[in-house]
Amino acid sequence: MIALLALPLTLLTLQQPAGAGIPQRLAGRVSPALGSLVVELGTAASARGLPIDPLIEKAIEGIAKGVPAERVATAVRLVATQLDTAAAALREGGAVADTLEIAAGEFAITAGLSGSDITALARTGANAQALTVGLRVAGTLAALGVPPAEDIGLVSATLRSGESSADLLLLPAHVQSEVAKGVTPAQAAAGLARAAAAQGQHGPPPTHPQHAPAPLPPPHPPAPPHP
Amino acid sequence: MSGHDFHPLVKQLLDGDITLADLPSELRVEGEAALRLLAAVDRTEISMPAVTWRVMATLERRRRRFLPWLLAPALAIAAALVILLRPTAPAPTAALVTVRFVLVAPDAKQVSLAGTFNQWDAHVTPLVRTGATGVWTATLTLPAGQHQYAFVVDGVRWVPDPGAPAVDDGFGRRNSVLTL
Repeated sequence: MIALLALPLTLLTLQQPAGAGIPQRLAGRVSPALGSLVVELGTAASARGLPIDPLIEKAIEGIAKGVPAERVATAVRLVATQLDTAAAALREGGAVADTLEIAAGEFAITAGLSGSDITALARTGANAQALTVGLRVAGTLAALGVPPAEDIGLVSATLRSGESSADLLLLPAHVQSEVAKGVTPAQAAAGLARAAAAQGQHGPPPTHPQHAPAPLPPPHPPAPPHP
Repeated sequence: MSGHDFHPLVKQLLDGDITLADLPSELRVEGEAALRLLAAVDRTEISMPAVTWRVMATLERRRRRFLPWLLAPALAIAAALVILLRPTAPAPTAALVTVRFVLVAPDAKQVSLAGTFNQWDAHVTPLVRTGATGVWTATLTLPAGQHQYAFVVDGVRWVPDPGAPAVDDGFGRRNSVLTL
């Protein structure tokens, strides 16, 4: 019986070794030394159940921007560390995180949130898809200048209220809209969180579509003239 | 049997190919003797000694015990082949969202878009200048999810989108963020 189970697993492992495909994706884009580092980090990350795409993308981004290889290597190592932090934070929050959630958590950390912020979102008990979107939105709100406390308060309240992912995705636009009226990002997020909490107490409206398709994002605001 | 070698015709007699009457007279005595010897053969069923049965039973038990171990690799290989050759399930298709990117850059000669959606390639997604106002636009259909990007002005300057949130890119610059 052991052989029955072990051999297919062994062959499956041989079929898709951890970090497989990284050299092909980096071929012609990065130096051999940087490529070796990414393969090494990616193989180790994959063995720990972490996504490898953020590592590959960061290496490609750095080289595309003309950044020296040593600095790119440092940035890729930082991404690997942040992936570990995100995965640990999600586990601590009780989430059985997949690679999408971990990558979303890594983005949230890049945007300025902490592991404990991610744990707080994981503890909302949201399903994997909602938590992934929630982490991305939380990171986006942080990038908009919403402080972590208000950020996590807003996203947690929205997740607990049972709002759809489409509604979650609209939060940054709502914050931007409120900021355009003259409030701070923190005030905007706090106001939206209170509304979401009230919605959570009363439940979503009966006609609320539970699986509404993601709407088109609002029209891109005109940018000021480039200096 | 002794070392006596019978005449070929007597052997045919013993084999039942001919009868005693078919033998020449000089061979009939030999033929009769041979038939007597054949009749004297003990034809009772031979029984194996108990020790033999025990040995055979042990061998059978071992055969049965090792049969699964011999069978398991074969089954395992078959299972592995099923895994290796199984049709790959199509990845769930992400919803697509159409997004318009805008940058106002009156002095720019060319503007392009580079990001996670095009492998940060500054040459594949140019923006188009609309009119004489210096407004550059591009409309892309992107999969739902999260994307980071920047505008590339005149092929050398990486500029974040002034109308979008941005994060540190790890290289001392900012990446714009698009969450769909």
